[in-house]
Amino acid sequence: MRKFVLKSSLFLIFLVVALEIFVRVLHLYTEDPPRMIDDLLVEKRVPGHTGYAVTGNRRMNFSEFRINANGFNSHRDYKPSSTELEIALVGDSFIEGFHADYTNSLGVKLENFFNNSTEVYEYGYAGYDLANQYHLIEAYKADFDKIDFVVVYLDFATDLHRSSYAPNHGRIDLLASPLFKIRDNVKLLAYISKIGVLDKVQGFVSSVLGRNQAPVNTKEELDNEQVLEYIENFKKLSEDFNIDYTKTFLLLDSRKTSDLFLKYCAKENIPIIDFGAVFEKEQTPTDLVYDQHWNDYGRSVISQLIGEQIKARMSD
Amino acid sequence: MLFNSFEYLLFLPLAFILYWFVFHRIVRIQNLLLVILSYIFYGWWDWRFLSLIFVSTLVDYMVGIQLSAANNKNKKAWLALSILVNLGLLGFFKYYNFFVDSFSKFAGELGFAMQDTWMLNIILPVGISFYTFQTMSYSLDIYHNKINPTKDFIAFAAYVSFFPQLVAGPIERASSLLPQILKKRKFDYTQGVQGLRLMLWGFFKKMAIADALAPIVDDIFTNYHSYSSGTLFMGAVFFGFQIYCDFSGYSDIAIGTAKLFGVELRSNFKFPYFSRNIAEFWRRWHISLSTWFRDYLYIPLGGSYGSRAKALRNIFIIFIVSGFWHGANWTFILWGALHALLFIPLFLTHSNRSNLDTIIGQYQLFPSIKELVQVLFTFLLVTLSWIFFRAENVGIAFEYISQIFQFTDGVQPFYHPRGFRMEDYFILLGAFYAYEYIIRKNERNPFSFRSAPLRYVVYCILVLLIFLFFDDQVDRSFIYFQF
Repeated sequence: MRKFVLKSSLFLIFLVVALEIFVRVLHLYTEDPPRMIDDLLVEKRVPGHTGYAVTGNRRMNFSEFRINANGFNSHRDYKPSSTELEIALVGDSFIEGFHADYTNSLGVKLENFFNNSTEVYEYGYAGYDLANQYHLIEAYKADFDKIDFVVVYLDFATDLHRSSYAPNHGRIDLLASPLFKIRDNVKLLAYISKIGVLDKVQGFVSSVLGRNQAPVNTKEELDNEQVLEYIENFKKLSEDFNIDYTKTFLLLDSRKTSDLFLKYCAKENIPIIDFGAVFEKEQTPTDLVYDQHWNDYGRSVISQLIGEQIKARMSD
Repeated sequence: MLFNSFEYLLFLPLAFILYWFVFHRIVRIQNLLLVILSYIFYGWWDWRFLSLIFVSTLVDYMVGIQLSAANNKNKKAWLALSILVNLGLLGFFKYYNFFVDSFSKFAGELGFAMQDTWMLNIILPVGISFYTFQTMSYSLDIYHNKINPTKDFIAFAAYVSFFPQLVAGPIERASSLLPQILKKRKFDYTQGVQGLRLMLWGFFKKMAIADALAPIVDDIFTNYHSYSSGTLFMGAVFFGFQIYCDFSGYSDIAIGTAKLFGVELRSNFKFPYFSRNIAEFWRRWHISLSTWFRDYLYIPLGGSYGSRAKALRNIFIIFIVSGFWHGANWTFILWGALHALLFIPLFLTHSNRSNLDTIIGQYQLFPSIKELVQVLFTFLLVTLSWIFFRAENVGIAFEYISQIFQFTDGVQPFYHPRGFRMEDYFILLGAFYAYEYIIRKNERNPFSFRSAPLRYVVYCILVLLIFLFFDDQVDRSFIYFQF
């Protein structure tokens, strides 16, 4: 029995080591560049990191990222001027774009649309909601005053849970905790947690610790009361952060957005860029296969939509 | 509790420690622990159905004792009681609605409309077909004086409920399992290692292959109207591998787990997809069930003795009953009947007993051309028959088959329902089939390489493949649980 227990334990250790090597050599794990909260209380990435983001258990999506000097994933550093045309894209993981090579991001496609006569600044960060985004615009007011157009990505069902901004120190602390550091350094662990092998374990631990994830609402799940509350939150955030809707557009998917909110935007002359209606008609898939983010084609469609809308505004 | 669950990951080491380190001194205490562990394992699904196992256990325990003491007339009555209770449980929970529905439709055809208030909302208890057959075989063996009854109720309860094989077999015989439970068990290093190896192989088959193929098969069988002949055929082949890897994977984990507890279970699969005819397929597929039907139904009916007509009747009965055992649906009955039709030509030409103790390429590295053709032909027949097994109803099965043979659109590209690369699955299946060929001579030892480093590399690759094909969105339960 002793021999059995010892040998099996030894084999298990060897197995884990071998798998760790396999996972590293095949680069099956995804990298998550460290996060920070800067002096202006903006949550972003620590500048200067490069690496690869991986989705799917067989590396279905493999893309390179580059965290620029401003702390965002982009091929350029942001130096807005008052003379050139500049566009800012602000949003969550869809704008952060870890699902695409940073050299082929939505921002790059938008620059291509304008024949590289404009600079596009991508202020994307996985986990941002509208409060984060509007706070960022206010915090970097000096830069945003020089930027000509701002496109804010809004997922109505998930981005309007709060009406004021407070930096999420808890998330940064959690990600910097020893448990998460172990997960990030042991690539096998990073890999299997990403593909869902540890979901049951995580669920078990969460239930033991009494931690439940915040509910993610879809358009269909929202009741009228919630819709009204979200619209109120939107109004308050717009007022508190003094958002200039003569140069700010909301990029949204009308299929996932409350009709009441769309009517409100129309009434208040808040410009929206609706990609939902366009995606609906597309025959070619616009999303990645193992991920809900936009694929290359989807990003091309959206960049064209944004470009056309801005061009139209410029010609007004 | 599922073998491939987080709960089992905690349950198994705990059970192992309690079994070998805490309650190992007295065999009766160890057996009591086995019963408790088994009831926890089963009760994890639905504790209410533990009462059925207990009733079945109690009845056959008492019947066993009474059978050994009774005279010939009373013996029959006691045996009838065992069969009545076990088949009664099975009939009510598994077949009641089927018979009511079929009768109602039949009456409807004759112009007598029946209200469907006769239908009941019955949940099928997991594994009922397995443990009722196991307990029945105990009483039948005592009746035929093959074994003596045990007076140790705890040991008998452990035999009926032994958790590794409780819900999906292998269906054990009392003559083989009960003596192992009655005697004191000693941990054997080699047996333990073999157990772990079989478990790894079983987990690989279930998690890397069966679960990975499930979404593809579900998609093709659900939307068969929109797919080309080539895709439909691929769906049937994939289902063949899915069900094989699902069920044989379960059996391997069961046999491996039992070994960890010092118990040997019978083999349930012996590389059935290398069979050279249907008769050989049935000697290699779900062996514990086919031998059960052979010993307790086919032979008592007269087997192949007597007139040719009687023998053919017996063949039909055994295959149809075997099909019906799988589920209360005409699809299973047709599946059984189809296998009977495929078996009969072999029986009539006396070739059903060929290839009894050999496997393809028995003495060579590669199989002969003749063997390859035979295997391919048998595989094709089995694959077509699986369509009945998988289809929702008989009409769909026939439509599916007819669409295959219409050769509509030939071979069209098929896209995974969630967009994964299909090439990965072809490579996986090809590699799996080739590996099964390498290990084809010993189903109890899938890693029979002399070189320890090579074995180690294979273990690592299998675990890596489990991760590479792990699909977090599939239903992880085993297909045969529904039977």
